[in-house]
Amino acid sequence: MSIVTVQLGQCGNQIGFEVFDALFMDSQCSQGFCSKRENEAYQASCRERFFREENGVPIARAVLVDMEPKVINQILSKAAQPGRWKYGQHACFCQKQGSGNNWAYGYSVHGPKHEESIMSLIQKEVEKCDSLSGFFIIMSIAGGTGSGLGAFLTQRLQDHYSNALKMNQIIWPYGTGEVIVQNYNSILTLSHLYRSSEALLVHENDTIHKICAKLMNIKQISFRDINQVLAHQLGSVFQPTYSAEGSFHYRRNPLGDLMENLVPHPEFKMLGVRNIPQMSENSLAYSTFTWVGLLKHLRQMLISNAKMEEGIDWQVRPSLPRLPPLNKLSLNREQHFNTSLANLVILRGKDVQNANLEGFKDPALYTSWLRPADALSVWKTSRAFNRYERSAALVSNSQFFVRPLDTIVGKAWNMFASKAYIHQYTKFGIEEEDFLDSFTLLEQVIASYCNL
Amino acid sequence: MGRRRRQVREEASAWAAAGTRTLPDAIAALSRSLPAGPSPEIFRRAKFDRPEAAPELWRLLFRVLSPLLADRAAASPGLGAQACWVKAVLCYHGYPRSALAQLPEDGSQGSRELLLALSWLLARGPLLEWLLAQTCVQLGDQVPTFEYEVLAIPRLAAPQMDAEGPVDIRHLQWLMGKLHFRWQNLISIQQEQCALLSKIHTYTFGCHSDQNLGHLSVTETETLRDPEGSQQLLQVLEQENARLEAALEWRRYELVFWQWMDTVLGACPPEDPSVPSFQPRIPEHGRGKLELVARELQALKEELQVLQKLLHEEVLSRRQAWETRVGALGHGPEWSTSRQDLQQAVEQELLALQQSWKQDRYPSLPRRRHRLVKIEAGAAGAQGLPVAEVIRGLKSQEASLEVVLCQLQGQCRQELARLVGTMPGLIWILPPGR
Repeated sequence: MSIVTVQLGQCGNQIGFEVFDALFMDSQCSQGFCSKRENEAYQASCRERFFREENGVPIARAVLVDMEPKVINQILSKAAQPGRWKYGQHACFCQKQGSGNNWAYGYSVHGPKHEESIMSLIQKEVEKCDSLSGFFIIMSIAGGTGSGLGAFLTQRLQDHYSNALKMNQIIWPYGTGEVIVQNYNSILTLSHLYRSSEALLVHENDTIHKICAKLMNIKQISFRDINQVLAHQLGSVFQPTYSAEGSFHYRRNPLGDLMENLVPHPEFKMLGVRNIPQMSENSLAYSTFTWVGLLKHLRQMLISNAKMEEGIDWQVRPSLPRLPPLNKLSLNREQHFNTSLANLVILRGKDVQNANLEGFKDPALYTSWLRPADALSVWKTSRAFNRYERSAALVSNSQFFVRPLDTIVGKAWNMFASKAYIHQYTKFGIEEEDFLDSFTLLEQVIASYCNL
Repeated sequence: MGRRRRQVREEASAWAAAGTRTLPDAIAALSRSLPAGPSPEIFRRAKFDRPEAAPELWRLLFRVLSPLLADRAAASPGLGAQACWVKAVLCYHGYPRSALAQLPEDGSQGSRELLLALSWLLARGPLLEWLLAQTCVQLGDQVPTFEYEVLAIPRLAAPQMDAEGPVDIRHLQWLMGKLHFRWQNLISIQQEQCALLSKIHTYTFGCHSDQNLGHLSVTETETLRDPEGSQQLLQVLEQENARLEAALEWRRYELVFWQWMDTVLGACPPEDPSVPSFQPRIPEHGRGKLELVARELQALKEELQVLQKLLHEEVLSRRQAWETRVGALGHGPEWSTSRQDLQQAVEQELLALQQSWKQDRYPSLPRRRHRLVKIEAGAAGAQGLPVAEVIRGLKSQEASLEVVLCQLQGQCRQELARLVGTMPGLIWILPPGR
């Protein structure tokens, strides 16, 4: 089943390009550490999901939307190289003027004005799928085009394609970002997306920046480096995996399975990704890992809310099982223990059937009202990803984002209390009421996650 | 004259001889036509209530009463569970003899009683035909229509789920969400299946020998592509044929079987009237609820009676008023003809009302299986049930179910509002709406 990607704004388009590139390069890779037949099945599954064929050339199932033509033209030319993949010829929508980082402009003006053209582009791409699993919508939450237009489009997709799933890949802005109204934009985007999307997969710029600096040893970190790390993370989640324990057929609907296991509850939709190992290409050939080591680190990354495998706080430990729930809650809060609602662990590479996941089945990791058997899902494949002999990814619905969300809401509230810059929004139809609704919704989300 | 008398005598003696000779044939035909039918020897032993015949008969009854469950061989429960379930289902269907309830639950005894139960089921309704229809081999692609009867079979008891203390509502919301996603997945898979079926039908147009059908179904295409697989299909068809032939044979010898069953019934000890009739075990908290329900039913019955009386009185008074008004009018010839016309018009209207009422409440959908055939638009001579009619039927079903859903949701909302009213100082914050 196929996934159609909608790339929004400068951020969304650049990331989208890197994602398709990473998926394509991985599927082409002959060093899969598995049999040729396995490799071919993997390739076929990946191609069917994210690409379609036209005259032997793979075409990405994507729609590109931006209010300025510059970025789209750049990536169109980067993609159309011989022997690689392309974007569809008429899959782009651009305008000549930007949105000036104004969420309200993107939501109330650009959205309705360009709705028909964009939706018809999406419709054409959907018709070329044999069966549609859902949509990826890649956008930032702090800018103007991506955030406002993205919120509007997600709502329209909800109305038009009520049976299709939507996962918004959202880029969390830098804490010390440049856009002054980024907190307003963020809270408005998040609250609107929470109402119309099924899952929000959050990628934090700060986190990925640190990964580039510490793990990949990149001196001058460009956006391209960040986007490539992000693409690697997404690829490690959505590349094909076996459909069941002991099966050798690839899973047909990873998006649906992921959503069913991680976000069935309407109040808990924020997902985070953690990868292990992550390193520069040069170091790849010299490193070897065991499943035991990888899973131990991944588990500790989960419970201590570490962003990467370096600098993990090993002092954070799950509380004793016999404690009554209320004591457990306060103890966990004291040591900043990250309680999970549900987790998805994805293992790729050699001897994947020997990997022992008992550590993740500990009930202390999870909230009291969900048993580990219901909360934990595991996907496997013996085909290695991106030439990492063994790699593991974790998609987690947990308290990862309680603090960042609380910070953003706090900052936005302070600005709102002094009515700073509100006129930019009310000018285009976003009233103070809408702000208050957003604050209420997000406070509710924070409270729900805190009470896990 | 003499020749005729001789013929009659010959016929009578042939019939008498046929009685004893065809009983084994009859029983053999019956067991061949049943799924997993036991050997005729088991039947004979059951007449004498031999214990070794009991397990096979328990299994047979289980298989007969739950053809949908028994397909999944892996989920086959133990003999004790099967016996328990069979007893419950037979009671549910109204089996009159109390001796069945008293049989031990380990399935070791009671073969004669089970034989009687089997023949009771056979006599009640078209059991064989129903069983055969369940396992009928389909060569065409089927139209899946919503079947109410599937829901009427009582299910095997789910594993004991003790709700220790209050259930966390977040867990319920979690499960509802999962159900919602699985539902969506099912719908998209069905849509994909339809698209692919359409492709196959279009590609194989003109390949079928039967002009009315025109194209091949999936099964037929598979047999062309994979000759070894078609051998299996052939085997299955042959098995089904054998069962159908056995069923026809059974119909011929049925009378002999019933005569024999009379003797089986005669061999049973007389029913002990002091033994209480079958009563299912009700758990403690269930008993209280049942009492409430019984009281509610009683109250409703009384209300209904009162309403009926009122209605009756109302009708009577109105009729009298009408009579007094109408009685004054003339009884001339033109009056009688106009009255006849009026009567006819009223009858027709009543009929139309009844029809529309019946259609609204039970929108008729085809019960028989129909093969899915793709035809050119506007092609003449199309047989069978047109898709448009099925769609209409399904839409009206959907509409009536939606109405019921809205009503139930409204009731839930009212109940919630009432509960909120009883708790002062409680603030509802609704989750972000889906």
